[in-house]
Amino acid sequence: MSRYVDVIVNGFNEKVPENATISFLITHFKEGDADLIVEHNGQFVYPQKYAAATVSAGDRIEFINPNFGG
Amino acid sequence: MKNMTKLSSEEYIRYNRQIILPEVGEEGQEKLRNAKVFIAGVGGLGSVSAYYMAAAGVGAVKIADRDRVNPDNLNRQILHHSQDIGKPKTASALEKLRQLNPHCHVQAVQEEIREENIMEFVGDCQLILDATDNAETRRLLNRASVSKHIPFIYGGINGLNGMVTTFIPGETACFECLFPHKAVEKTSVAVLGPVAGLTASVQSMEALKFILGMGGLLKNRLLYIQCSDMTFKEINIRKNPDCNICNTAKKGEI
Repeated sequence: MSRYVDVIVNGFNEKVPENATISFLITHFKEGDADLIVEHNGQFVYPQKYAAATVSAGDRIEFINPNFGG
Repeated sequence: MKNMTKLSSEEYIRYNRQIILPEVGEEGQEKLRNAKVFIAGVGGLGSVSAYYMAAAGVGAVKIADRDRVNPDNLNRQILHHSQDIGKPKTASALEKLRQLNPHCHVQAVQEEIREENIMEFVGDCQLILDATDNAETRRLLNRASVSKHIPFIYGGINGLNGMVTTFIPGETACFECLFPHKAVEKTSVAVLGPVAGLTASVQSMEALKFILGMGGLLKNRLLYIQCSDMTFKEINIRKNPDCNICNTAKKGEI
């Protein structure tokens, strides 16, 4: 039985499993853009780190869709 | 061959309001006159940055676009007017930029930017101003930037949001550090005109600052503009050690 922790995702309080990975959160919050930008506690997260990067209580995660229009 | 002659009295008058800025001065104005900028696209973003480059007295501006002016471009592509519908965008842009500033040498290329012609397009320009409407062309611009070692000022818009950052090879992350995936192309994004204006104005400021040799560029800072609540947020970015394009160890494979 996994514990849940409080994190802030795009400004909203959310309960997520402790040590959830960024990959898990992307699926969980249905972020579909292949070029999604992920910011974790103010730092950009490289896509290759999504599977290993885990979140802790109080962390701030921002999912930002890239802008490619001109 | 750089134009080393002093500014004419006409130029002094025309650019007076910026020459009196300590950051510009006569020397800065001469730097602008000697500058050559490549603007990829003359749509929503390119309309604004091309106007500002010409207005500031940038000596040479090269513009490229493949499209013709459509009626649904006119809410944001302010270089193009109602009577231009159906005209090649670069021809429409050339006409307006010449009217705005006949001292600015504008080279217009009505052609799609492709892998085969990107290096020739960029030529001897000292920086790339991005005004394209897709990630694929941006990847080509990024590769030219890394290969020629010149800055690539990325700007993108979508709906009420815009993004800008200045990629400087050897110093900052590159476009593919951020976006290594092949994005699914989106066509006809929604956009309100000032979002394009705001985003391209930030890019234009970055371009002029670079030419003038000023600091304070958006290096490793991705500016995210959200017009819905008018917030300007910065995302700290860094070089991606696994980047296939700018990672030093992998250079030469482009």
